[in-house]
Amino acid sequence: MRNPLIPAAALVLCVTAASAFAAPGTVLRDEKLYSQPSSTSAVAGSAAKGASVNILTKQGGWLRVTAGKTTGWIRLLSVRAGEGGLGGAGLGDVVGAATTKSDPTRVVAVAGLRGFNDRRLNDESLKQAKFNAEEMARLDALKVTPGQAKSYASQSGLVAANVAALPKPKPEQSSSPWENN
Amino acid sequence: MKIKLMMVAVSLISFSGTVAAFDLGKFLEDRVKEELNKDKTTQPVPAPTTSPTPAPAQSAAAAPPPAKQKIDTRQLGFALFGDYTLEEENRIGSQISGNLLGAVPLVRDDALQRYVNLVGNWVALQSGRQDVTWRFGVLDTEDINAFAAPGGYVFVTKGLYRLLNNEADLAGVLGHEIAHVTQKHHLKVLKQSSLIGALGQAASSKVQGSDPVVQNLIGNGAEIMARGLDKNAEYEADRVGLVYAARAGYTPWGLPGALQAMASLPAKDGRTGLLFKTHPHPADRLAALGEAVDGRLDDVRGKELADRFYRIR
Repeated sequence: MRNPLIPAAALVLCVTAASAFAAPGTVLRDEKLYSQPSSTSAVAGSAAKGASVNILTKQGGWLRVTAGKTTGWIRLLSVRAGEGGLGGAGLGDVVGAATTKSDPTRVVAVAGLRGFNDRRLNDESLKQAKFNAEEMARLDALKVTPGQAKSYASQSGLVAANVAALPKPKPEQSSSPWENN
Repeated sequence: MKIKLMMVAVSLISFSGTVAAFDLGKFLEDRVKEELNKDKTTQPVPAPTTSPTPAPAQSAAAAPPPAKQKIDTRQLGFALFGDYTLEEENRIGSQISGNLLGAVPLVRDDALQRYVNLVGNWVALQSGRQDVTWRFGVLDTEDINAFAAPGGYVFVTKGLYRLLNNEADLAGVLGHEIAHVTQKHHLKVLKQSSLIGALGQAASSKVQGSDPVVQNLIGNGAEIMARGLDKNAEYEADRVGLVYAARAGYTPWGLPGALQAMASLPAKDGRTGLLFKTHPHPADRLAALGEAVDGRLDDVRGKELADRFYRIR
């Protein structure tokens, strides 16, 4: 049969690679916790919107989390990683600044990337940008044909799949365009 | 549709308030006539890159043909009634992209750029939009962001690329940007703003005939990137882009994975300033995607391709 070490090693690799997920998170909608990363598996518990979870690992569209005393699998899209709670536009500066633990190493690392010649993309740099014909020529020279892309896809066994479009949100969920400006 | 018409109407009304002498009814009548004759009056616009002169900075926007004054008024036509032609779309996209590349150049790593083009084109093939030439570029900045421009231009920053773990993540991010192009989100914004801009010109007797069309429409093209789109356009690009990536044979969880990585960044991370200004918070995007996806993709399998993902230095 299978070598039991392989899944164990894969799990370790997974945890290491996705170290961002050995992290706190917040449940975004009332959800079930399943015993396996599948909605057909047994339900191990539930988690309410806004609940804090500890994210243990990620597998496909599922996260293994601990919520209170229950550990189980929850849909990836039902949780946000990070410390900002339910988040939301505009909350980042106020809530985030107050609740995010400062990490000195991170600040140094980010600051270290900011050399004197570092290029920023912000209101000011975009406003002052002048058309760069040289870079446009470079961009054009690097393009590939659909044939090349198909060939590259098939090299790794990628095959076009039939996936239905996702539904638009219901009217009461979409806000008026007037609120967006 | 109703909402759009209403917005046009309100734009017109609010604008006419500031230009008292402007005869709105007469203007609309003229516009309808002009629109009906559009095929006769439409003139080909020369491609921006054909100018033989060695390129000064704004060359793509240079050398308007003499007939341009007519096009200034025709702008009202497509702003109100029609769509941009493919050629207009390409010119607009080129102007925006050239300005964006003026702010930040491409990473000097051709293998990386080719890789992103190969993956991006494959995802774009699933979008059904093959009348544009898709071009993908990685921008040389640690800021975390991605951009699309009309005509098939897609950019991700080096900072965002660093957050990705496998090819499916990349496919998801590119899918989101490809969706902005296929859904013509930027053109819709330009249509609304150019209506107002063109009205301003019609109201004044002075027509700026020397300005090329694109410049009239969008000014410095990159500024539209600083303004961003409305949040519903971003949610739609998430829904559509995720499906493009899944149709390309990748796991659907690439874009959500990238959003999770952005969500877990410290709130004060300086690399996300423009991203968070122009997009809903990643937590809100995850929640909205979660509503749309629910269990619908439970049976969709796909590849992550972590092994051939091009690691950036």
